[in-house]
Amino acid sequence: MAHQAHAYHMVDPSPWPLTGAIAALLMTSGLAVWFHQHSMILMAIGTVLMLLTMYQWWRDIVREGTFQGHHTPPVQKGLRYGMILFITSEVFFFLGFFWAFYHASLAPTPELGGCWPPTGIFTLDPLEVPLLNTAVLLASGVTVTWAHHSMMGGDRKQAIQSLTMTIVLGFYFTVLQAMEYVDAPFTIGDGVYGATFFVATGFHGLHVMIGSIFLAVCLLRQIKHHFTSGHHFGFEAAAWYWHFVDVVWLFLYVSIYWWGS
Amino acid sequence: MFRQLLGLRLLSRRTITSSARRQADNGVKEKQKLFQEDNGLPIHLKGGVKDALISRFTMALTVFGSGYVVYELFTAAMPKKA
Repeated sequence: MAHQAHAYHMVDPSPWPLTGAIAALLMTSGLAVWFHQHSMILMAIGTVLMLLTMYQWWRDIVREGTFQGHHTPPVQKGLRYGMILFITSEVFFFLGFFWAFYHASLAPTPELGGCWPPTGIFTLDPLEVPLLNTAVLLASGVTVTWAHHSMMGGDRKQAIQSLTMTIVLGFYFTVLQAMEYVDAPFTIGDGVYGATFFVATGFHGLHVMIGSIFLAVCLLRQIKHHFTSGHHFGFEAAAWYWHFVDVVWLFLYVSIYWWGS
Repeated sequence: MFRQLLGLRLLSRRTITSSARRQADNGVKEKQKLFQEDNGLPIHLKGGVKDALISRFTMALTVFGSGYVVYELFTAAMPKKA
């Protein structure tokens, strides 16, 4: 068997980029078919295909890194660049929704009553559940850092404990936010206030769920001894993502919940 | 002699327990051996039969889904006559 004379990773041919692309096609066309022909089948197939693609693609990456040793330092550097660029693109995604919020709220139109919050909108008290949510996410930032230091120090038990606490806090945030959504005195259809509020916080909540799942996968991998004290990039990527989610919340809290109330 | 027997009992108990725990605990070495086997299989099929099954199911869904979406888009583009 020929051995490569370089430290880079020449991946095996893989079907997952194709299945992922088809899944995206099926989900988007399926959305349109659902809107116009009231059938959810295409969208459902697309979603299942997307989940299968994600599972198998990421499973393969774990195999390539942890079991085959392909994630050498130069390869890991590339993975770090990749994650940073991805998170940067997500920052721009949220930037758009903040732009919409500030556009509407800095110069409120006569239709809103010329004021912000608009006439007739009863905002949520920023010192109640939203403040608790802020504390919960900040605490989870502490626990995920604790997990990282435990991992670097080779303390397996503490890493598992603090990572578990981080996931529990993320779950707690999601439950609290879901309760807020149900009890809110306004809906997404209540003008530009409702639209900016629910789209911005809604996408944030989705990212909390994604981040929680990413951390949970890392917990499973930590339990299975995949990580070493010197090499645990999957966890670092999850921690970066989690800090990003926390920072977005801080901006949401200050802008929409506090200044916007 | 009794002390030797006792020592042997303790030793066997310790060895068995710790090796059993090790097997249940850290399976990374076995996985590394499996995925570094020189059998020419690509990474997405190298885990065994389960890999082939789930991969085939995924491809089947991909092919069926592609056909279905083309069908749906074609019928959506042609309005039904009243």
